[in-house]
Amino acid sequence: MAAAMVSSASGLLAMLNEQHPALKLHALDKLNSVVHLFWHEISTSVPTIESLSEDEEFEQRELASLVVSKVFYYLGELNDSLSYALGAGPLFDVSEESDYAHTLLAKAIDEYASIKSKPGGGEKEKLDPRLEAIVERMLDKCILDGKYQQAMGMAVECRRLDKLEEAITRSDNVHGALSYCINLSHSFVNHREYRCEVLRLLVKIYQRLPSPDYLSICQCLMFLDEPKPVASILEKLLLSDSKDDALLAFQIAFDLVENERQAFLLNVRNLLQDSKSPVHHENTEQPLENPDQGSAAPSSENGNAGASDTNPTSDTNPTMGAGDVPMAEDSHTPNGTANVMSSSEAAFSEKLAKIKGILSGETSIQLTIQFLYSKNKSDLLILKTIKQSVEMRNSVCHSATICANAIMHAGTTVDTFLRENLEWLSRATNWAKFSATAGLGVIHRGHLQQGRSLMAPYLPQSGAVGGGSPYSEGGALYALGLIHANHGEGIKQFLRESLRNTNSEVIQHGACLGLGLAALGTADEEIYEEVKNVLYTDSAVAGEAAGISMGLLMVGTPSEKAGEMLAYAHDTQHEKIIRGLALGIALTVYGREEDADALIEQLTGDQDPILRYGGMYALALAYRGTANNKAIHKLLHFAVSDVSDDVRRTAVLALGFVLYSEPEQTPRIVSLLSESYNPHVRYGAALAVGISCAGTGLSEAISLLEPLTSDVVDFVRQGALIAMAMVMIQTNESCDSRVGTFRRQLEKIILDKHEDTMSKMGAILASGILDAGGRNVSIKLLSKAKHDKITAVVGLAVFSQFWYWYPLTYFISLAFSPTAFIGLNYDLKVPKFEFLSHAKPSLFEYPRPTAPPSSTSAVKLPTAVLSTTAKAKSRVKKDAEQKASADKSSEDTSTSSSSGKSPKPSEKDNDSMQVDSTADKKPEAEPSFEILTNPARVVPAQEKFIKFLEGSRYVPVKLAPSGFVLLRDLQPSEAEVLALTDAPSSMTSPAAGTATATTGGQPASATTAMAVDDEPQPPPAFEYSG
Amino acid sequence: MDPQLNEVSQVFARFKAAFTRNDFSTCSDLLSRLKVLLTKFSSLPPSFQQTPNAVQELTLARDIYEHAVVLSVKIEDQDAFERDFFQLKPYYTDTCGVLPPSPQEYPILGLNLLRLLVQNRIAEFHTELELLPASALENPCIKHAVELEQSFMEGAYNRVLSARQTVPHETYVYFMDLLAKTVRDEIAGCSEKAYDYLSISNAKKILMFSSDEELSRYIMEEHPEWEIKNGCVYFQKAKETQPCKEIPSLQLINQTLNYAKELERIV
Repeated sequence: MAAAMVSSASGLLAMLNEQHPALKLHALDKLNSVVHLFWHEISTSVPTIESLSEDEEFEQRELASLVVSKVFYYLGELNDSLSYALGAGPLFDVSEESDYAHTLLAKAIDEYASIKSKPGGGEKEKLDPRLEAIVERMLDKCILDGKYQQAMGMAVECRRLDKLEEAITRSDNVHGALSYCINLSHSFVNHREYRCEVLRLLVKIYQRLPSPDYLSICQCLMFLDEPKPVASILEKLLLSDSKDDALLAFQIAFDLVENERQAFLLNVRNLLQDSKSPVHHENTEQPLENPDQGSAAPSSENGNAGASDTNPTSDTNPTMGAGDVPMAEDSHTPNGTANVMSSSEAAFSEKLAKIKGILSGETSIQLTIQFLYSKNKSDLLILKTIKQSVEMRNSVCHSATICANAIMHAGTTVDTFLRENLEWLSRATNWAKFSATAGLGVIHRGHLQQGRSLMAPYLPQSGAVGGGSPYSEGGALYALGLIHANHGEGIKQFLRESLRNTNSEVIQHGACLGLGLAALGTADEEIYEEVKNVLYTDSAVAGEAAGISMGLLMVGTPSEKAGEMLAYAHDTQHEKIIRGLALGIALTVYGREEDADALIEQLTGDQDPILRYGGMYALALAYRGTANNKAIHKLLHFAVSDVSDDVRRTAVLALGFVLYSEPEQTPRIVSLLSESYNPHVRYGAALAVGISCAGTGLSEAISLLEPLTSDVVDFVRQGALIAMAMVMIQTNESCDSRVGTFRRQLEKIILDKHEDTMSKMGAILASGILDAGGRNVSIKLLSKAKHDKITAVVGLAVFSQFWYWYPLTYFISLAFSPTAFIGLNYDLKVPKFEFLSHAKPSLFEYPRPTAPPSSTSAVKLPTAVLSTTAKAKSRVKKDAEQKASADKSSEDTSTSSSSGKSPKPSEKDNDSMQVDSTADKKPEAEPSFEILTNPARVVPAQEKFIKFLEGSRYVPVKLAPSGFVLLRDLQPSEAEVLALTDAPSSMTSPAAGTATATTGGQPASATTAMAVDDEPQPPPAFEYSG
Repeated sequence: MDPQLNEVSQVFARFKAAFTRNDFSTCSDLLSRLKVLLTKFSSLPPSFQQTPNAVQELTLARDIYEHAVVLSVKIEDQDAFERDFFQLKPYYTDTCGVLPPSPQEYPILGLNLLRLLVQNRIAEFHTELELLPASALENPCIKHAVELEQSFMEGAYNRVLSARQTVPHETYVYFMDLLAKTVRDEIAGCSEKAYDYLSISNAKKILMFSSDEELSRYIMEEHPEWEIKNGCVYFQKAKETQPCKEIPSLQLINQTLNYAKELERIV
């Protein structure tokens, strides 16, 4: 019997017209089952079925609706289809595995989400309860089926925080779910307010867990800008007796510091100070009490119970209670109550001091500077080549070379090159002198203690007017700002005084920039007023810096200041001031996203192209790293439609900032623009790629930039070269062969006599960036927790102004962060610790030093030795010239310290030779892994290969492949072998030498003394090096 | 035998009895019951599940629907005819491999063609025709309909009307009567366009009425806008068209002149 097949639904359709309801029902039922085959036939009878679905008396209206919905779906009328599917009520099966169900569900969720995300409170009325029911059914189903990620995604999209909470708490891996959600909220939630809500919820859930993940909680809280809970968490961890808790607290502090939110960190620090004694009691009672949230009360009980579960041995409560409730101590602590109390107090204050050190950023900065100094691998030969090939009289290239040197040695404190070429250096005059002096600030970046004394020879002397050139004085103030960027507590006062005591606009310029950098994002009213006074003098040079400085001060603060600045920008005649203010205004809206829309609208609609240009920056910074579609659309619109080339260039460039969280996108988006007929747009495209793909070595980015490096227009070549260097930073030839080609291209451009100055300058800067920070730093705009690094982003934004004002080039140093794994023990020292990089060593090794005629190692060693001696010599010479009044005793210390230092470089050389020898052995059979020793250079691309060894003495608190990681000591009784011990002494001693030699200032010597105190005993170090 | 099947056949037997008695109201009631009963059979279209009784059920259902179609003709209900026919059709088109062809198939298909012709749905008529195999065109029932359509299109209305005498099946008579009316409507439409007026005798001849009364009744019912005076039928075509054709020329000229004047003033 052959199977019969239906060929038409006309019979069923005819049956619909029958009188008997049973027949209609039968027909509908059958139609529902064949609708996927005969929708075209049914579509002509849709009105009949529709009338059935609207017929109050017909008992299966829902079935009729379902059939109509399906027909509409096949006809592509999704809106109609959805509205009838809603009519179908429970008959619409969310779990059905059909295209129809999937499509309509997606449509329903989209619809729901778009209604929910509409601003305004009137949304409730518009919301169809049936729609809500479907979405809820879907969410419930996902949760029941264990598709938690799907459920979370939908809940976030639909703004159903209740469902989100349910999904997270019911999922099998709550921690995983939470971290997934954090990711979600950062990458997919476009609305800032709402993201805060989501994060608040996440924090709430985190706190309810039996073992809260404090690292993540604090990250969330930081984003929410709630320092209080963070402080109380830290305090709780510190109050605990367990070393592990203290380690965790330190780790949290380091992670917070990495995001560079100065104002927030300051708040946390102050809270820790204030709350020291009164919070004791409170904390022991309710460890997780969140003072801001009453709703957290029930959860804190859970947390309390959980905490005591996890820490059954810890006697936190009794010992800490001892301070406040003396009654309790007798019953719980059997012996020596007074001693215990005082020792725990002491331990606490010691820990508190440590954590404050971390939060102030000093610890990490000091460790970084040690790391960068000890691992410096910069290639002086490259600089030498540049210096020789650059014409003396060409000041652009001359100062570009100085700048390249500064960038190459950023943060390493190695100024060998400058000292070797003092005469050459002195050719810089006027603003070039300003830049050259500022360059020192980049080299000594982070040298917080000695920064001021280092710059002392150049700084303006109070009272003695006309002592030095205003250019070098201004530059020195700017340099101080660069040294103290984002950590300006100690230097603010001095900079303010310098600003007050001068009338020279050059010095004002430097001081403004310096202040802006040092007090970045602190929103300090007093400083703001002072800078504003400079602005109101209406001097072009000083006003420009003042504008930028005001922006830097007010980074990301929602204040009225922007309006004030805008008003002045309209008043003034000076283009420079307007430009400074435009950038300043843009900086104030940093990260404000939607909040900034009104201001952006105002700026982008302005008649003045310079303000529109500021508007582009405002868009870039307000939506930094959000990849927000609206912002991208706007920018693309301006990029092709504005009448001013400057605005168009900036609009394209700004895309780089908006997209840096998704670097893969950028080359695709700007690829068309990079072929524009307009050179400004091409330039912008190059820099956009450079900014967003910085440090990624992304292949598409390089492919896009490659043709631009040989563009017909000189400044496009300049931009492309710089962008290429930013992309390729820390990528070596074995990763991408084009790196080698690019290096050769740079050399060729620099050596070519007929090359345009602009592109030559680009090439010089590019070689600096390519080897920045002694080849140990990369440009990172995102922290490891995927938060934006405010300093870095701001730094790059101001850096991109070098088009108008070369000294701003130095702002790029703010974007550099060391690519290092630095493991720390409880004492915040660097112990010897080994771990594995599961990849071929050649993939991530330092680029080979350029080969002069003689062998490299031969050159390398003598220069290293020469550098130190030459440094000392030249310093003495220079000091003698500039400061004849240096007293004898300090000179003694300087010589003694330099002599004490001399064996150490040789140690270092031994060290490096060891490295070399191992490297020499390995290439014979390139091993597939490499053992790295703490502290180690770990480039971003290498991070995924990092593995920690089993059975090692130390265990990391957090499994992070780079950055500062606290290590838990499993054998605390044994003596620790410390690494990086020689570096601090060799590093601090020359600095101390200078300090004492130059000024003999009190603070400097005091810090030296402290450094000596902190220094551990030498024997272990000898063991290590020998 | 399956009890359901049994029940259906019993009811069907009663239906056939009533049918032969020409007791149409009983028939309609029973038919309605039968249809509901048929929905219980899963072997029927569109499911076509292969149950053991499938062949019997299908045969029975086809038989029922064939009777339903004939019944609808007898009670002169065109809508019912269409409904029943469409429900019957899957049994003809989709069950070829399962059931032996029904003897009633061609007469009913021909009937349907005739219906389409009567309702002047020529496009559908041809669609149906195209769906039939070439051999079916030889069948007298189909051939009859096809020939009618040809005559109809040619305008050989007399041949259409005379075909009533040669119907292949007694059920065709109803539609043939209706067809005469369709033809007459067609003629009336044509004459309206072709003539301003016709004398009553000519009109009577053209519209194929045997008496003046029939003619005037027809005009009263179908074309009240026609007018009979002076022994002629006026089609009133001119009356409608004349008045609206006039152009308000004076008014327009005035307006245009006004515009021109104002324009000059503005410039």
